[in-house]
Amino acid sequence: MAEATTLVNPLGEGIRIHRTPEPCVMVIFGASGDLTERKLGPALFYLSRERLLPAGFSVIGCARTPATNEDFRGKMGRAVKKYLNLSEGSDAFVESFGNGLFYISGDFGDPAAYGQLKSLLDRLDQERGTSGNRLFYLATPPSFFPVIVKHLGAVGLAEPKFPGKSWTRIIIEKPFGRSLASALELNRSVTEVFREEQIYRIDHYLGKETVQNLLVFRYANGIFEPFWNRRYIDHVQISVTEDLGVENRGSYYEEAGLVRDMIQNHVLQLLSLVAMEPPSTFEATSVRDEKAKVLRAMRPAPLDRIDEFCVRGQYAEGWVGGGKVPAYRAEPKVSPVSNTETFAAFKFYIDNWRWADVPFYLRSGKRLAKRVSEISIQFRRVPHLLFRGAGTDGIEPNVLALHIQPNEGISLKFCAKLPGSTMQIRPVLMEFRYGESFGAPPPTAYETLLLDCMLGDATLFNRSDAVDLSWELMEPILDHWREQRGEGLTFYPAGTWGPAEADALIERDGRSWHGL
Amino acid sequence: MAGSITPVPLGEPRPANVAELEAELSALWRSAADDSTGKTAVTRACTLTLLIYVESDEAAYEVNNLVAEVTRQNPCRTIIMRLEPEASPSGFEAWVSAHCHLPLAGEKQVCSEQITIRARGEAVQGLASLVLPLTVSGLPIFLWWRAGSFSPPSYLDQILRVTQHVIVDTARFQPGGMHLKELAEWSRKVAGKVQVTDLNWARLTPWRDLIAQYFDSPERRPFLERLSAVRIEYEQESERLVTQRAQGLLLTGWLASRLGWEFVMSERRDAAQPRTFYFKSASGVVKVDRVLKKVAGGCGVCFAIELSSGGSSPARFSFSRGADGKVVETLAEIPGLPSLGRSVRLEVLEEAEILNEELKLGVRDQRYEEALGVVARMIASPASV
Repeated sequence: MAEATTLVNPLGEGIRIHRTPEPCVMVIFGASGDLTERKLGPALFYLSRERLLPAGFSVIGCARTPATNEDFRGKMGRAVKKYLNLSEGSDAFVESFGNGLFYISGDFGDPAAYGQLKSLLDRLDQERGTSGNRLFYLATPPSFFPVIVKHLGAVGLAEPKFPGKSWTRIIIEKPFGRSLASALELNRSVTEVFREEQIYRIDHYLGKETVQNLLVFRYANGIFEPFWNRRYIDHVQISVTEDLGVENRGSYYEEAGLVRDMIQNHVLQLLSLVAMEPPSTFEATSVRDEKAKVLRAMRPAPLDRIDEFCVRGQYAEGWVGGGKVPAYRAEPKVSPVSNTETFAAFKFYIDNWRWADVPFYLRSGKRLAKRVSEISIQFRRVPHLLFRGAGTDGIEPNVLALHIQPNEGISLKFCAKLPGSTMQIRPVLMEFRYGESFGAPPPTAYETLLLDCMLGDATLFNRSDAVDLSWELMEPILDHWREQRGEGLTFYPAGTWGPAEADALIERDGRSWHGL
Repeated sequence: MAGSITPVPLGEPRPANVAELEAELSALWRSAADDSTGKTAVTRACTLTLLIYVESDEAAYEVNNLVAEVTRQNPCRTIIMRLEPEASPSGFEAWVSAHCHLPLAGEKQVCSEQITIRARGEAVQGLASLVLPLTVSGLPIFLWWRAGSFSPPSYLDQILRVTQHVIVDTARFQPGGMHLKELAEWSRKVAGKVQVTDLNWARLTPWRDLIAQYFDSPERRPFLERLSAVRIEYEQESERLVTQRAQGLLLTGWLASRLGWEFVMSERRDAAQPRTFYFKSASGVVKVDRVLKKVAGGCGVCFAIELSSGGSSPARFSFSRGADGKVVETLAEIPGLPSLGRSVRLEVLEEAEILNEELKLGVRDQRYEEALGVVARMIASPASV
């Protein structure tokens, strides 16, 4: 076919909606697994139906289970109907989506399977106009990553087919290792074949809206940045709490624990967004550079006084949402003598000019009173109280709260005088809720992440240095707890706000946890 | 999210003393506050002032119902201007109300204000003196011209002077007239000072995106350069015929302006059908046919576009929405390759939905200006109807 004389599509310029990615193929390794059926397939179907995927978009499922293209299409069709609760009249969309699905069965270590994959990719470029753009998704256990990556490199699929014109990317899911050593090893095996800018490490807890809202709030408003430092801020609290238990993930949780599941990635990511210096641009590289600097400046918890800086807990039986729930140790696939933490609270300091001596209190846990993710920035008290008297006991420090979940928004607590002739001061709340004032439903996490990867937007994806730095911070604590076994593990009734020791962590400093 | 937010008009609109409208609004806010001790004040969110021009009571009523949907996504102060220059006695009437949205239990209401002003007879000359002080300072002003042709009378000049965005809907313009040409001329005159957007153009955006997607692949771009025929079909005897006719013109204008086609002439080849337009492209002549088609069981939403490219390897790209009004089938037929088709969801967009998107975007759309300029030349040609 003749080479195009125009480098850009003139019809595509200036269309003022979410642009679709360039034509591409997504190859899912581990396509017969649960993730593809429950998450990836439905997300891709939704994007396809809503015109958010390019014409000719194709998916190649790769797995060891023998199956044909039709088998794969049938399975995905049933999956989208089940997990998306489709309405009547959706058959045309399901069939249309299925026409772009293909399947290759083979062992991940079999070179012939990769040769077959390469041939199919070339054929799809020709027949479906996918232009040599490839996205490899590793939906397999991490133990398969090295062999898959090695074989992709061996058949030349790691490099773009048309250098300078097409792209090749690879997505890997968390956990990115269980420890610093395993994270480094995993990273080494992937970066031997793919360049860092080709690697997209998914962390789907934080939505793009949240990250962008935080960055816009800090950097599109001139009034906040001058106060965003140790001169005005007393401390910062970050709470990411859930009322759910481990449900049917007991065996995973026994290996992971709360710190690996939430703190090491999501909570530290929130902390880095709050504490980072302004990036020079909004592009992923600049933002990720600043986030990594924060993690690098964080002071490790002193292990000889660890109880002053870290608290771990495990939920006991209790009541949640009006129903009685069992203790963690009584959950399916959990050891009855497990020492895995389901709650953790920390006090960290960031050793840089902006944040010196400002404590960052972090807490996260399962089976707590409610599901909330919030960043509370408490400002210093006024240096001198002008107002005295009975009505002035309502003077409280200002608190700027960034609500992440369930209702995204921002609130500022400040003092106001009650109407009347006497001096009565009370705290009032000025609130702005994103979902309420701009009532458009946000897309789901997987839909956003897959689109972003196809569009080459790495804002939401982790870079290797951030992964390594967060392991460097948390691993000594995890090792210490492992050595201590059950000593120091506290218990809290499910449905409460965690162990009393977590309250003591912050109250020892004359502060208290912000009410959620 | 739509299920969790319910717009609730705060009681019936109440008559307001025209001279004290701001005071009336303050009274409205006080009555909306939850707690009489003032501990929890109602938070008002406002991102713009939306002026709405209507020419009939029926239109004012329709717009009143739409405003609740609009403020849910774009909290704003709305001022509906109902003008009756021929009516008597001369004078003003005004009403104030608020649209509040109830999110999840325990959360605060988010309220937006609405002011309706009826001006009769000579009083229309003084409309600007009422409206301008009511616009929210520091925020952009949008004027939604929800009427036929865009020919603002002189007494609206002062209002237009401070307006940053004018939103029209060419679906409401009568066919065959020069209204599109007039709009194009006005738009050119105010370019850089006022941004003109068109809800009918916004309805076309997903169609344009679908068409563009087929040519994102570099291997398919040569077909774009060799396009020789465009066929646009609309449903005959449809209540949306006016809408679709204007859309057909705008689509043609878009293709021509984006692909560098030069308009040559038009001709009416069939008395029962709209004109055919001819353009000159780098590879030859491009013929654009617009066809009215009877659709059995149609409900006014059928619409189809077909692009054909000539040369030694003719190809065809088609996009059509069927009678159900929800699904668009696209198909690329390229010699030597399997046909590439898909079904996507594309329902007829509701007016409030499109308006909300335009209010959010609020930026100049050069592609629209370019397309409108081509359309103006097309319909001004002598053989036109």
